[in-house]
Amino acid sequence: MIEDLQYVGGSYPVHDVAQKVTGELVYGSDFSVPGMLHAKLILSSISHGIVKRIDATRAEALPGVVKVFSHENAPMEPFSRARIHPGQDMSFYDETLFSAHVRFVGDRVAAVVATSKAIAEAAAALVEIEYEELPALLTVDDALADSAPAIHEGGNLLYEHEIERGERPDLEGAVSVTTTTSTPRVHHAALEPHVCIAQGHSTGGMTVWTTSQGVYAARTVIAELLHLEYHRVRVIKVPMGGSFGGKTEYIIEPVCAFLAHATRRPVKLLLDREESMIATMCRPATTTTIRTAFTPDGELLDFEAASTLDSGGFAASTPDYSVHMCKKVTKLYRVPHYQHQGRAVYTNTPVGGAARGWGAPEMAAATEIHMDRVAAALRLDPVDLRLKNMVEPHDTDLVTGLPLGDARVRECLERGVVAFDWAARRARPAGRGRYRRGVGVAAGAHKNGMFGAFPEASRMGLKMNEDGTFELNASLHEVGCGIVTTMRIIVAEVLGVHPDLVAAGEADTATTPFDYGTYGSRVTYVVGACARIVAERVREKLLLAAADLIQEPVERLAAYDAAVHVKDERGRAIAYRDIARLTEMRAVPGIAASTTYYAVSNPGSYSVQFAEVEVDCATGLTVVTDFLAVADVGRAINRGMVEAQYQGAVQMGIGYALYEHLDVDERGRAGVDGFKNYHIVNAPDMPDVQVLLVEHEGDDGPFGAKSVGEIATVPTAPAVVNAVNNALGTELSELPLTPERILSALHGEEVPCSSC
Amino acid sequence: MQLVLTVNGMVHEIEARPTARLLDVLRDQVGLTGTKEGCAEGECGACTVIVDGQAVNSCVMLAVQARGKEILTVEGLAQDGELDLLQQKFVEYGAVQCGYCTPGMLMSAKALLMGNPVPSEQDIRIALAGNLCRCTGYSAIVAAVKAASGHEATPAMELPAEPAELAAEVTTDPDTLAAACEVVEAETGVTPGGPCAPSGLGDPFAASSPEGGE
Amino acid sequence: MTEVRSPSTRNELVAELAQATPRTRLLAGGTDLVRVLRQPGGEPDVLIDLSGLEELKAVRLDGETLHVGALTTFSQLQWDPLVREHALCLSLAAAQVGSTQIRNAGTLGGNVANASPCADGVTALTVLGADVTTVDGAGATRTRPIGEVVLGPSRTSLAYDEAVVGFAFPALGPEHRSAFSKIGSRTAVSVARLSCALVVRFDAAAGTLASVRVALGAVGEAAFRAAELERALEGRPADEETARLFAGGCVAAVQESIPGRYSLPYKQHAAVGLAYDAWNMLALSAPCEPAWA
Repeated sequence: MIEDLQYVGGSYPVHDVAQKVTGELVYGSDFSVPGMLHAKLILSSISHGIVKRIDATRAEALPGVVKVFSHENAPMEPFSRARIHPGQDMSFYDETLFSAHVRFVGDRVAAVVATSKAIAEAAAALVEIEYEELPALLTVDDALADSAPAIHEGGNLLYEHEIERGERPDLEGAVSVTTTTSTPRVHHAALEPHVCIAQGHSTGGMTVWTTSQGVYAARTVIAELLHLEYHRVRVIKVPMGGSFGGKTEYIIEPVCAFLAHATRRPVKLLLDREESMIATMCRPATTTTIRTAFTPDGELLDFEAASTLDSGGFAASTPDYSVHMCKKVTKLYRVPHYQHQGRAVYTNTPVGGAARGWGAPEMAAATEIHMDRVAAALRLDPVDLRLKNMVEPHDTDLVTGLPLGDARVRECLERGVVAFDWAARRARPAGRGRYRRGVGVAAGAHKNGMFGAFPEASRMGLKMNEDGTFELNASLHEVGCGIVTTMRIIVAEVLGVHPDLVAAGEADTATTPFDYGTYGSRVTYVVGACARIVAERVREKLLLAAADLIQEPVERLAAYDAAVHVKDERGRAIAYRDIARLTEMRAVPGIAASTTYYAVSNPGSYSVQFAEVEVDCATGLTVVTDFLAVADVGRAINRGMVEAQYQGAVQMGIGYALYEHLDVDERGRAGVDGFKNYHIVNAPDMPDVQVLLVEHEGDDGPFGAKSVGEIATVPTAPAVVNAVNNALGTELSELPLTPERILSALHGEEVPCSSC
Repeated sequence: MQLVLTVNGMVHEIEARPTARLLDVLRDQVGLTGTKEGCAEGECGACTVIVDGQAVNSCVMLAVQARGKEILTVEGLAQDGELDLLQQKFVEYGAVQCGYCTPGMLMSAKALLMGNPVPSEQDIRIALAGNLCRCTGYSAIVAAVKAASGHEATPAMELPAEPAELAAEVTTDPDTLAAACEVVEAETGVTPGGPCAPSGLGDPFAASSPEGGE
Repeated sequence: MTEVRSPSTRNELVAELAQATPRTRLLAGGTDLVRVLRQPGGEPDVLIDLSGLEELKAVRLDGETLHVGALTTFSQLQWDPLVREHALCLSLAAAQVGSTQIRNAGTLGGNVANASPCADGVTALTVLGADVTTVDGAGATRTRPIGEVVLGPSRTSLAYDEAVVGFAFPALGPEHRSAFSKIGSRTAVSVARLSCALVVRFDAAAGTLASVRVALGAVGEAAFRAAELERALEGRPADEETARLFAGGCVAAVQESIPGRYSLPYKQHAAVGLAYDAWNMLALSAPCEPAWA
């Protein structure tokens, strides 16, 4: 049990809140350097074909145009946008800076570099491009057909795998249920579009200002593509307006770096909303079929699943994503036998890849919709069915073999049932009027970092300044979820100083030590643990230095309130500031430490969420009227931020369930090009989300904390879908539940979705 | 063409293309990048500014349409270094995460409160309906606006009070300090004098000079 | 490079219109036009900025006619006391256009000239039987019904040198009730997939609908009056049976207007909700609900 904490568990705003509310903060899209040029991408207007001819003569004749680049004058070495690490498996090198073989509407064909954005845009319209069209494979089925042309060498089945664990028990008398759930291609919809700035220096090196979630990997991709030594490529993380995984992979960084390198100038590549939607990446569309066998009283015996991911035009990270989809169910439920086939398929559609939750929301949608169908078949309350099968703390994950740690999902469900008044709401009949209400529940599981699948470590340094303030030197990537503040709170707690006395900056390959990035739900659990340890090392040095300066044994000393105190001797203390200054005068190293922390575990993170919806059966429009999220967070480092993250995550999940989908027409063109037709939940439609935290501090994260940002959105969509099905007595499982789909189900007839 | 625009009370003479948007002129020529571009079609609200007391999307307004009007941007909210009450409440209520929607949210909220000082929750959500956020789920933002209109809920952020443990406040008692200085002197032969004397940290623009000192 | 002209009086406007070419554009609020201007090839030779024409921003009652200037914004229309009293359906329509920011800038004249098939202002003007007054480069003033101005999706009968200056229609009186309903893709800030503007003159003594006007929008080429439905409803009592008839008539009108259209199956269902929403807004009977099997 953790002792009384002074700072951990309080509520703090993000570290740069003052600059954000005054408009002072310079985001990537605000950033500029002297002499900067502007780039505009030219994207393929067809979904599959070969570029036969590019004529940039008219474009390059426009005053202010520096050059037009395409496959004809750019390096065509393939790279993988999903690479984290040199020598990493599961990187599919199928992408080039510009495509000669275009594979989706939105594929990069060329780029114009000019002295202003307006000129670059005008010039882009003057570039003539001729394509030879190839048959477009717009669905997974089209792409897997025997006669389908290969989108990439090696065929359209990009990746396939199967896992099987455990032994199938006797299924005599078991009840079998099969469901198929499909989830759509979705736009991350970070408010800031994608942007990158790069500067090629006359020395041949370069500086890149990126909003991506991992600078070191950006450097790997860029340096190798351009054949530059790593020490000549500096990648700096600048403030960004949200990512949600859409900026995890290196999509425009290599292009921007190349343009800067080729022109030896600074170049800014800033996409507009439409380009961010179709030319970067999307959450991949998936279809999952689940077949389970349960005893008649609800015990899970067998779980078989098959998932297909639509990878779109490039592999990106969908192979890894599909593997991760297979690792979600057994974090949540106990089952004797589990089998899961996954595959990722190329199609001529916008690229699918990294998105918040990394397969967990997709799999939770399928699993939790399935569980409700089972509950109905067995005539059990959906809560009871889950309680019968949920994991207990310290169970082992059947698929990974790793301990699940202090898994408190059961408690989340039990507490949520009470707080949401589940039984009473569930007992209320939805009625047959125009407006019908229903409630639904869903559970979700996710991980804490990459331990077990990948060498997982974080590295950082911490130093004390002469005035008693501290600086953390770590490759942090703030995406808006407050991780810089989280690190400051952790360090502050250990050192016994106010977090305002601890500064932490963001990642810069030139000055901060190697670390992966903000993804994989690793930051609180692994990076935060590293922060705790490095702070403990500094505290140790403070104590030792103080012991020497005031001639007392270390055991008699305690560090808190910005000073080292002699225990049991009130008033006898030496301020950190004085320790710093005096230490610097001696021939001893200053008060600083660095450490590499190797992760030792990867427990489950859990959330159980409850939704109440009201469906207008005349129009099919659905509103979420109430919502509760219960979170097994281990320990909230920044309580207010944990709640805030959950509220935002639920907004994303409601959109996933009801509104958001990025589909293509018969020519592969996206049916949406902006927020006018791609709707994310706005303030009038957003319910107030209650957040309940379950904190048992049981695992290896700092002060017992576990990850928050991704798990928060994992069970949201199925909670909403289950609520709608409860309200209407339907079995909808095709997301999103558009008005047309709802009316189709109500009237038992096909109502085609004109926006699907 | 030549344009004269009044932004945050200051007059600016601008040379701009006739079809330049107000957003472009504010960001690129007046140099105020607080107003953001999120969609370029008047849907996301990140570009919201106040023109003659009304919230408008500056991405679908030409600069020429704002001639002779009072333009207020997020940079004009704070006065003399003091945050506007709305800004303070956004801080206190945890209404800011990535912050990209924040300037637009503040301006829509400001325009609302200018016309309707005590709005209902419904009024607030409708006023913010054209401001999209992907991080916060809107609750903290609505709570902040309510608080700025006088209806304080328990803030989501229970901000610690002004830190009392700022390094300047923590001093070593004279005896301990003297003993420690002796240790250093014995070891190095140098008398730690100046650096050990507490120097005032605090407002660099304060009239008093540091005590002690070099 | 585009030239911008900013007339501040009607005479100056006419002078600018006299110089107009087919590549001239008229700028009202800008919420539709500014996006178009930024597209490659979208720049006009001359942009006539109407925002200085104060005289086009007025709402006034002249006897029994309500005059609404072309440059009134949706925010203005939403809150103007004359509009609320004498053309409530127009106020309600204005309140549901876009977001607050859009309503503060977007104008009724711009809404008509842009002629989106989903234009909420056009549906309301159609049910009000509005006449549109324009002025052209020769200084000539024309007045014609809204249905002769808005012809189809993004198609009007406006010449390139012709500017809408105002709208006029018979003011609704205390014996009238009016409503506007809209089905979008979400509660707020959505283009209409269906819209309905409804005006009834209620004979309180007899408890019947003395006259009924129904306009439907976002279906078909442009907003239209459902004349057959109007006749079927006239003289009927303000009761649940009439509400049901009204809904059925809306569905039929939708079916007739977009036969074979991909969106028809959805819209013919949703039209039921549209109709009941509008009916209930009139508050002539207790709130009604569609009957469900």
